[in-house]
Amino acid sequence: MPRIELLVIQPTPFCNIDCRYCYLPDRNSKAVVAPTTLFNLFSQVFASGWLQDCLSVVWHAGEPMVVPISFYRDAFRMIDREKPDDLAITHSFQTNGTLIDDAWCDFFAGEHVNVGVSIDGPKLLHDRNRLTRSGRGTFDRTIAGIRLLRRHKVPFHVISVLSAASMAAAREMFDFYTEEGIERVCFNVEESEGDHVSECFAEGGIEAAYYRFLSEFWRLSAAAPGKIEFIREIEHAVQQVIRPKDASFNNQLVEPFAITSMDWAGNISTFSPELLGLKNAEYGDFLLGNINRDALVDMPRRANFAKMLADIEAGVALCRERCEYFSVCGGGEPVNKLAENGTFVSTETTYCRLTKMQATDLVLDALERVTPGAPNQNTPAAARIETPILAQDRRVRWE
Amino acid sequence: MSLQQKYAKILSEILPAGLVGASLLLGSVVPSSANQRPQSAQPLASDGDAVAQRLAAVRAAVSAVGDPAGTAAKPGDGNLRLAWGNWNNWGGWGWGRPWGGWGWPNWNNWRNWNNWNNWWRNW
Repeated sequence: MPRIELLVIQPTPFCNIDCRYCYLPDRNSKAVVAPTTLFNLFSQVFASGWLQDCLSVVWHAGEPMVVPISFYRDAFRMIDREKPDDLAITHSFQTNGTLIDDAWCDFFAGEHVNVGVSIDGPKLLHDRNRLTRSGRGTFDRTIAGIRLLRRHKVPFHVISVLSAASMAAAREMFDFYTEEGIERVCFNVEESEGDHVSECFAEGGIEAAYYRFLSEFWRLSAAAPGKIEFIREIEHAVQQVIRPKDASFNNQLVEPFAITSMDWAGNISTFSPELLGLKNAEYGDFLLGNINRDALVDMPRRANFAKMLADIEAGVALCRERCEYFSVCGGGEPVNKLAENGTFVSTETTYCRLTKMQATDLVLDALERVTPGAPNQNTPAAARIETPILAQDRRVRWE
Repeated sequence: MSLQQKYAKILSEILPAGLVGASLLLGSVVPSSANQRPQSAQPLASDGDAVAQRLAAVRAAVSAVGDPAGTAAKPGDGNLRLAWGNWNNWGGWGWGRPWGGWGWPNWNNWRNWNNWNNWWRNW
């Protein structure tokens, strides 16, 4: 039986900006998901028997904040009314931050919404790619939004898309985050997805550049405890490398319906969320049905689902057979396999060489640089002391 | 010394710090960007071992270090375990929980920000 862990909902395909690397095909459309469509989705999800004790809902795939706050207030109340009593739901927004104002901050605080802001580093780097439709940079509006979040004490993280230029500027990136009080960072590499072909991937030496960037950023963060609390790529890699041999691990991206995505019109897809909205000669539009017309629980019986699942599983099997890094990856990202290799039935991609292999190598290399008992090293005792200090410091700042 | 024994010795110093402390510790031993792999001329001790072998050895070592009553190899100095203040039942490491590879970090900003002890369990 499928197990839904994450619902990605497109409230609107529209985005108020026009990033150079965006893969969303309909970002000029101002369509908005109808309340009945949301009701049909959640009532079916809740009745599916595919949930465990918690569900994450991410409002994304278009700029969620171009839809008014009242829309979300109504949607959240409907979801609260319909949900099983013992189900914990967390709502998350991934936003470009340009529309954040006091009212949005009050909403995020009142509803405990997790906020992720897309910002690519300092102005010079950010404004290379994150542009308005008239071609102007969006940095000033995004950083104003981040400062408002901080003023309102709304916890947030940032996702920064790395270009070749930013990978060469680890120190500048680190200084920017710390000067702006940004404590939790995630790095995405500019990928080839949909019609977008990554300029980054075309650059020679990109893997070495990514390794250097990540290690330098990690080193700087460790040298200044309390500034950067969380580097997603490092923490994921550390957790995946340093784990007991019998610890469970799954790759949501290859598990049917673990990530379930719905576009504004009610169309449903699964596996990589980016597949929703793309088209392909072999798989068509990747849609498994429409929540307004079809039963969610019948979607696994669709012929196109069977084809996608079989090919994705065949690709995972190849990864298991051939890749040294399978135990930290679980079979890669279907959308990247398709974009880079032309088929799900494939293994290595530039994306996985960067995000999985380089990060894993970095952690393994760091492990081997630890000298047990070395007096001049950051010892566990020192780490034990630093950890509660960090915790205390963090509580003080947020309370 | 086998690869697993080597890692067990290293991990016995790292694991007690929890994930946050371990990240700090490991980050502190990363060389500056002027001398980093893959360009570094200095090979690491385990460069001759395949990645899968190294990963398996790390995991075997983690299990051994965390399972003193088990039959797997463990570090020679049993007293090391006495110093593992905040490491109970793998606390703070978040093992056993699924996590996604997609761009969204599966934490809950709000529920955990005032509860450091549970921060890393909520993936």
